[in-house]
Amino acid sequence: MALQEPVLTKRIPTPPFGDFSQRKLNSYEDFVATGGYAALKKAIDMQPSEIIDIMKASELRGRGGAGFPAGVKWSFLPPQDGKPRYLAVNSDESEPGTFKDRMLLDFDPHILLEGIAICMRACQLDTTYIYIRGEYHHQAKVLNKAIDEAYANNIFGPNSIMGKINDREPRCFVHRGAGAYICGEETALLNSLEGKRGWPRIKPPFPAVAGAFGRPTIINNVETLAMCGPIIDKGVDWFKTMGVARPDGVPPHVPASYGPKLIGVSGHVNRPGVYEENLGITVREMIEKYCGGMRNGKKFKSCVPGGIAMGVLSTDQIDAPLDFDIGKKFGCLGLGTAGVIVMDEDTDMVAVARNIVRFFSHESCGQCTPCREGSNWVYKTLCRIEEGNGTTADLDLLLEVSGSQGAMPGTTICGLADGTNWAIKTILNKFWSDFESRVSVSTIAGYSLPVLA
Amino acid sequence: MAWITKNSGTMQIETREEPYLDDELKAEIEANIIPRYPDRRAATLPTLHAVQHKVGWLPTQALKEIADFLGSAPSEVMDTATFYEEYWLKPKGKYVIWLCQSISCELMGRDTIMSKIKAKLNIEPGETTEDGKFTLMNVECLGSCGTAPCGLVNEKLHENMTVDNIDQILDSLE
Repeated sequence: MALQEPVLTKRIPTPPFGDFSQRKLNSYEDFVATGGYAALKKAIDMQPSEIIDIMKASELRGRGGAGFPAGVKWSFLPPQDGKPRYLAVNSDESEPGTFKDRMLLDFDPHILLEGIAICMRACQLDTTYIYIRGEYHHQAKVLNKAIDEAYANNIFGPNSIMGKINDREPRCFVHRGAGAYICGEETALLNSLEGKRGWPRIKPPFPAVAGAFGRPTIINNVETLAMCGPIIDKGVDWFKTMGVARPDGVPPHVPASYGPKLIGVSGHVNRPGVYEENLGITVREMIEKYCGGMRNGKKFKSCVPGGIAMGVLSTDQIDAPLDFDIGKKFGCLGLGTAGVIVMDEDTDMVAVARNIVRFFSHESCGQCTPCREGSNWVYKTLCRIEEGNGTTADLDLLLEVSGSQGAMPGTTICGLADGTNWAIKTILNKFWSDFESRVSVSTIAGYSLPVLA
Repeated sequence: MAWITKNSGTMQIETREEPYLDDELKAEIEANIIPRYPDRRAATLPTLHAVQHKVGWLPTQALKEIADFLGSAPSEVMDTATFYEEYWLKPKGKYVIWLCQSISCELMGRDTIMSKIKAKLNIEPGETTEDGKFTLMNVECLGSCGTAPCGLVNEKLHENMTVDNIDQILDSLE
């Protein structure tokens, strides 16, 4: 069933409820006039533990890629000990294909600030750092202005309507990154926040126990926090009418895919953009109903379901529903950020693989050798195949490297190397003939390969 | 690539009398940035941003001044500054053109735009024009995939770039 009313896009005109051209920045006054901060007032009347119980019951799953239930994450915090506790908002949106948080920050920053305030109250966190990527210059300015408005209207600050949290005045700051994809990984984000290079940390300890500055820290994505306000306002039952329910016979501890989701579609479609739909909508519906069909009337070839680390769908998987189970059912890593990149029949999948691996090779932080060296060698191999100098042995090697736990996957601190290999593995397996037709030489005997720099 | 190391062992550090991190900037950071964090080192990224905004890039002397100001070792500030792509450890042109090269932009034809810019400015990515006006850079995803191909010129994002409007964009820059 299609989404009945816009939730996160309530103030951001989006087809079919409005038009992209009507989008404008919502100020504090605009936000309050349309029911904003009512959920926060409701949350202030509740006990912190009640808010966490509601979030747990809603089964809201993190919208930043991993899909971990937000309420469960919030309940991991240790009891208060009188020292500071932090909220770090992950707005380092750098995964190719993902541009959903940007839309929220551009047009409705207060929906994020309301979610932040609710989370601070529920988890008793006194200081929030919104880690925004360095390239979002405009968004950082918009956000800073919105935070000033929020301070002026006593959402944060010494006279906050929330009173003292953790015996301190609630504070909220923007912290700008400086161009590093890896800082979207939660522990790398914390290191970057502390003024160090963005190197992921070994877990445990998990950030909820020892995060920023060694203190308990909750890290959530922008969209996850933005969803808190509507859930507190309208309730768990309302939230669970949307999305995909848990199938019969599945135990209740397995999280389902409830709720609406911002889905960013880019690539070869007529009307790319960020849309809001219930989880479970198919790729075909997204393309045909929202994006005006394929560009130039071409046929669908493949798509990335949610950021390039998730791998690709094959041509016959166009009816795959976009929910958190997509990974298990359709041979990719998962839903990720629901940044769908559509590719038409003329797309060269070898070039796609080369582009994706170049991204990971460029953005590898350099901490773990298998990722730093491996991604670069895989990139060089794919370049060679693209230039027409590849061998069938190269294909076997790529499959072996990307498919073996202990080669590149599973040997690194964070998931970047796993993402790289899921992308290679799925593209190779699902578009094998594209690669096979490019490797004309079956043996390297008597054939001189170009020198690899 | 973040992990390429610098030859800091042998390099000569150019210095000047006048500090890059002057008293005015120090006072501003001390008042507005430092109180946000529980320790001074956490202000490294904002301070690097502020100095780069004022000077245009980050000379080694400035890194040392920042280290002294924040109570870190100069090597710690350098460690941070070399990791992030947005910090310039050598002078850049007046306008830096960052053209996105990630998948959505490549699918939507960023290569033809890059060729056009290269031909027009007569430089390769990573280089600066002789008059010091433009620096051209390839950059990974700018988070504007729905309006690909896209690029940043300094802090301004240009969306839906075409070989035609790139001329106008470049010509409009003084």
